[in-house]
Amino acid sequence: MKLTTRRILILVPLFVTLFLVQSYFWVPGYEQQATGNPERLGEYISASIGDASILNPILSSDSASSAVESMVFEGLIDRDENLNFRGRLAISWKIYEEAFFYINKEADIPGLGKAGPEEMLRYLLGVKERQIPIDERIRPSIDNIMEITVIPPEDFIVSRPEEGPAGKDVRLLVRAPARIKLTLERVDQDVFTGLTLLLGQDYFYSFPSKAFVGIRDEEESSKLTEESKNKILARYAEQILPATEHNPVISFQLRPGVTFHDGQNFDAEDVKFTYDAIMNPRNLSPRIADYEPVKHVEVIDPLTVRIVYKRLYSPAIGTWSIPIIPEHLLNDEALRGEATQRGMDPDRFTMRHSLFNRRPVGCGPFIFREWKSDQYIALDRFEGYWEGPPNYRRYFYRIVPDLLTQEMEFYAGTVDTYHVQPHQVTRLSSNPNYQSFSGLSFGYTYIGYNMRRPPFDDRRVRLALGMAVDVEKIMRYVLYGQGERITGPFVKQTDFYNHDVRPLPYDPERALRLLSEAGWQRNKRGWLEKEGKRLQFTLITNSGNDTRKAVVAIVQDAWRQIGIDVRTDLIEWSVFVQERVNKADFDALVLGWQMGIEPDLYQIWHSSQSHPHQLNFVGFRNEQADDMIIRIRQEYDHRRQVEDCHRFHELIAREQPYTFLYVGKWTAVLDKRIVIKDVDEQGRVTYNKIAPTKTGNFTFYFNKWIKLREAPSFAAEG
Amino acid sequence: MLSFIGRSIVQKMITLFFVSVISFLIIHLAPGEPSQVDPLNPKFTPEIVERFRKEFHLDKPLYVQYLFFYRGLLSGRTVSWKDNQPVLAKMWERFLNSLPLFIVGTIITWTLSFPIGIRSAIFRGGIFDRSATFFSYFLISIPGFFFAYILIIFVVTRFQVPVIGMQTFGLSDASTVRILMDRVWHLLLPSMLGATGGIAILSRYVRSQMLEVEGQDYVRTAKAKGLSWEQVHYKHALRNALLPFVTMFGLILPGLIGGSVIIESIFSWPGMGRMAYEAILARDYPIILTVNFISAVLVLLGTFISDVLYLVVDPRIRL
Repeated sequence: MKLTTRRILILVPLFVTLFLVQSYFWVPGYEQQATGNPERLGEYISASIGDASILNPILSSDSASSAVESMVFEGLIDRDENLNFRGRLAISWKIYEEAFFYINKEADIPGLGKAGPEEMLRYLLGVKERQIPIDERIRPSIDNIMEITVIPPEDFIVSRPEEGPAGKDVRLLVRAPARIKLTLERVDQDVFTGLTLLLGQDYFYSFPSKAFVGIRDEEESSKLTEESKNKILARYAEQILPATEHNPVISFQLRPGVTFHDGQNFDAEDVKFTYDAIMNPRNLSPRIADYEPVKHVEVIDPLTVRIVYKRLYSPAIGTWSIPIIPEHLLNDEALRGEATQRGMDPDRFTMRHSLFNRRPVGCGPFIFREWKSDQYIALDRFEGYWEGPPNYRRYFYRIVPDLLTQEMEFYAGTVDTYHVQPHQVTRLSSNPNYQSFSGLSFGYTYIGYNMRRPPFDDRRVRLALGMAVDVEKIMRYVLYGQGERITGPFVKQTDFYNHDVRPLPYDPERALRLLSEAGWQRNKRGWLEKEGKRLQFTLITNSGNDTRKAVVAIVQDAWRQIGIDVRTDLIEWSVFVQERVNKADFDALVLGWQMGIEPDLYQIWHSSQSHPHQLNFVGFRNEQADDMIIRIRQEYDHRRQVEDCHRFHELIAREQPYTFLYVGKWTAVLDKRIVIKDVDEQGRVTYNKIAPTKTGNFTFYFNKWIKLREAPSFAAEG
Repeated sequence: MLSFIGRSIVQKMITLFFVSVISFLIIHLAPGEPSQVDPLNPKFTPEIVERFRKEFHLDKPLYVQYLFFYRGLLSGRTVSWKDNQPVLAKMWERFLNSLPLFIVGTIITWTLSFPIGIRSAIFRGGIFDRSATFFSYFLISIPGFFFAYILIIFVVTRFQVPVIGMQTFGLSDASTVRILMDRVWHLLLPSMLGATGGIAILSRYVRSQMLEVEGQDYVRTAKAKGLSWEQVHYKHALRNALLPFVTMFGLILPGLIGGSVIIESIFSWPGMGRMAYEAILARDYPIILTVNFISAVLVLLGTFISDVLYLVVDPRIRL
């Protein structure tokens, strides 16, 4: 047969295709991979849309990286089933406080007169020993004091920059007077308020910081004008010598005998190193804000570490769930060594460049094995894990960027879990082959009003707008019922959330009444009007989020029905953030917040945070709220913090700066053959059904999971 | 000829310079920040945002940033902002992943389109032509992702074999041949999807070019001479119809680096297109700009090659 052009053009693709198709006979089927392969039972495979970026817990800020990091690394503490803290690398911890105040020699103390350090010490000890009668209200505060000592006067030099961008450093000579140190058994934000009852209203307030600070250099001070000298002193004196100071202290007792995956022992130096690495500006750690309140970290002995804070900051304890990184692999010496070996400039080489970030070493339950970019990350179990090795031999984190293919892989058995889309929930959660779990997410969706602009500065208007929206309907039709109402800014599963606050009722009639109280009347054509001006504004949200888009449409319709002329706009995310949110250039917007468990609301609700580029972009300003936010932030006692949060929740619900819409529900399905395997001391094995914790977290006991050959039936199930 | 090549290279360098400036400007003027900087995250204080901007030189004037970037690129030191990996190494890895898809897709497209188009042109209006037209428009108008989904669901549920990714997940201890064949299998669906789309479009071009040529006098002469069917259509007619395809062939070069975002995402294929797309979403400027620059180079190279091919193929053309 002669090979003509035509034949070549037909035969070549034919052969190529045939070659591709014949490979079908070589491929292992799903059957072989998922069920026929005994190895597979010891492997857990999860799927993610996106790849991890950098496997170093102090540098990463994306969820894919932290999912893997949580397997490879371990923190000092984490949260248990009930969201209370529990020790991991730390066995126990103690939180107490060191409070300081300067002796104010000029102040007149009721019943004592002017007092120096020695008199003050005697007086306070007398009060503590109950030799001196005091107001019973401050008794608990006094009883909380464990120890009182005097710190003698001290001279030191500090340098601070002058005002203005070209400001030179000015050296200040500080002649600090004697200081009283109170060691408190538990942190008490009101200790000084209590002491004012004892020492007089003005004792702390009138402490003349400026009198003890001067400008040092002779020539420097002659160059400065009297005015600028005063300015410098006014600016820094109080900062250098604050009348009172709270120094909360956390002291961790570390777990002995824990090793990193490379066999090195974990100790207090690693904890200190992790802190230092976060604070090192060269590392550009996105976590720096959490640790800024730390004054210093002290290693007391290899298994004790003491963290002293500059000020009261109750979310601090939670920050120590940060995974601990190994000092011996990442300290300066190690980094220099790596830089030289890879032929890079050791002076410009930082932790960000280290190959550690591609093959991390921690002391968590799984050892890092392999990372194929955009394909998978493979981990092996760590036999030397302090809590005993996990049941699964291997953990895979697969990257499958498409949801439908993720679903197909789940059906086929090459992925063990699938996060169900809201519209699939009814279908998949009733499938007998899978076990399904669902829970509330930690984020909520809301309508925020720009309270700097009329008519949103009127509480009645905000209330009316909220009442005109049927949130139940949104949840039913947009979320397929996969949502719950939320009334305030706390995670709904935590104690901080106040369940007594009722959601706004759907009541357009009452909304209209409230609006008419606020001066808005319906005109002949049905539009709401005040002084001849129509109630008109624009509701915006970001494009690319179909749920929010649907919410905007429903809300617009609801508001139009009561006569409000609402326009809507969808704006691309980065323009939305840069031009609208950051510049507070909007009327109303639909947006969501992702929350942490800690009830720290400072950035979102404090009035000091309502400037451009800050997160209180709705411009919520309320003095009472500001006080509460500070109190919540400074309160270390859980019970009292909960009380404060409940009151804050009520206040927010009353003021309605947002219309709180809903919190979404997630649902995950898991192969039914995956169970919890427990082995007791006698070596007896029991299998239990995976049960979610109170907060809905079903992966809490992950280390005890294992996949069985066949789905077991549990007696309890009936 | 030599003077043409010299002139062409100078021209292309100038174009390349402007491309680099304009693409740099477009990316930097577009709103958005690198994903490392998240202004709506309460943990990000303005100082951290500022420090990140400084680290990435975003606080410098644009021309300084331009110099920084291209100095880094040409000395091979540019690293991705996402994971601090060298950009060129990352791209090379992805390029090798995308290459098999590209090669298989191109071979099938650039062979099969011709017989289909030619046959359609010769038997214009016949059953074959009409069904080819129908299928072409069908394949052109059906969205690629939809077609891909249908195919995946069909193959997975009908044959119970994995089709996602570059190789079967978890296949480690198999013989070399098996691993090789497994990779070939995973090529099948994505490359066929690419090829069907390509054939649908290219065979239309072939058909219209052939129709133009078939009416020419020399084709009638060839037929009248008694030449075989093969000789008439595949030699005399096709040669003259080929000219526009020379240009098109030069332009498939940039496809090497572009890859296919949709197909790579659906099939979890760790290729170029997906990397570039994710870089755009994350505002990973070093990756975006490098991909942009290299594809600009490839486009210019492609046009250069097709210019040269023109000279070779058609002696009437003098440049």
